[in-house]
Amino acid sequence: MEITVKIFRYNPEKDQRGNYVTYKVEAHENDRVLDVLEYIKGKVDGTLSFRRSCAHGVCGSDAMRINGRNMLACKTLVRDTGANITVEPILGLPIKKDLISDMEPFFDNYKKMLPYFINEDPIPENGRERLQSQEERARFDETTKCILCACCTTSCPSYWANGEYYGPAAIVSAHRFIFDSRDQAADERLNILAETDGIARCHTAYNCTEACPREIKVTKAIGEVKMAMITGKLD
Amino acid sequence: MGLKRDVSLAAGLRYRGPAGYLTFILHRIGGLGMGIFITMHILASFFGGRFGGTLNGIYEHWAFQVFIYFCVLFHAINGLRITILDLWPKLLDYQTEAIWIEWAVFIPLYLIAVYVIVRVGAGG
Ligand code: SF4
Ligand code: SF4
Ligand code: FES
Repeated sequence: MEITVKIFRYNPEKDQRGNYVTYKVEAHENDRVLDVLEYIKGKVDGTLSFRRSCAHGVCGSDAMRINGRNMLACKTLVRDTGANITVEPILGLPIKKDLISDMEPFFDNYKKMLPYFINEDPIPENGRERLQSQEERARFDETTKCILCACCTTSCPSYWANGEYYGPAAIVSAHRFIFDSRDQAADERLNILAETDGIARCHTAYNCTEACPREIKVTKAIGEVKMAMITGKLD
Repeated sequence: MGLKRDVSLAAGLRYRGPAGYLTFILHRIGGLGMGIFITMHILASFFGGRFGGTLNGIYEHWAFQVFIYFCVLFHAINGLRITILDLWPKLLDYQTEAIWIEWAVFIPLYLIAVYVIVRVGAGG
């Protein structure tokens, strides 16, 4: 079938602002939007720029706005978008070229969450692992699935309004460690999230949950962190 | 080089968010509407006279009442939903259902009120 793809284009060496270019190409309904972009780049217009790596929904590098909603191009089928596709960069981050956003501010917020395991106790003598029950492991299973694609953070109206807000992805990363029974820095992370640009900026709009390609219940994770902050309990 | 971070209101409103996004937008409109109403009220009492009378005339008009009642009722009911979900995060699994319930409560209450306001206001 013939499809019409309208793509946001911006060349930092020539353009003052972005514009849209429309391409008409052949595609199969089982093609992914990423296949369509690859086709355009390979056969129609080699200057088109976008990020992608794994092409299988694992690396999180091809988040973009497809028909007005954040998605991974590699997980979105033409069958689901229809024959008219509009592709734009995610909102709320600077744009380097075409669909390539500058991810630095996003990862800066991520780093603020101390997104690594912290435990000052010596490693157990009799074993090489710090043991944890299945229930304890299940407590944070959901948030281990995050691939840091930024679909959630760049769909959040609070983040659009204020780029200083750490954003849902950072809170999801914090959740992963806050609720890990082996970790010892939950208080530290909760204190960071209690700052002005922290969790209080979430106004429960749910855009983030809907946008997450890993189906993480982002708003719920944020809600649990909010409760932990209020009650001081991590159950 | 590159384009700066920029999210215009139009771009934000164009985002195709889920049902919760609409309630988020209406919640802000509700808050803004109440802010406008209260400001007009204060200004009317403060200045009085013809200016105050004109302001009074605007916010006592039935059309404005229909608008402000929307703002107050929606803001209250939506706020209640968010508060409940914030206090019991487990319920966030049912956020879509919660939004349906919210509309089911809001729409009849609002329609009854609009009916009364218009009947009285428009002298029906
Ligand atoms: S629930 Fe919170 S973090 Fe998620 S989109 Fe809404 S305001 Fe942003
Ligand atoms: S929580 Fe989901 S949407 Fe957000 S960065 Fe992680 S995988 Fe992407
Ligand atoms: S290319 Fe890796 S997630 Fe889409």
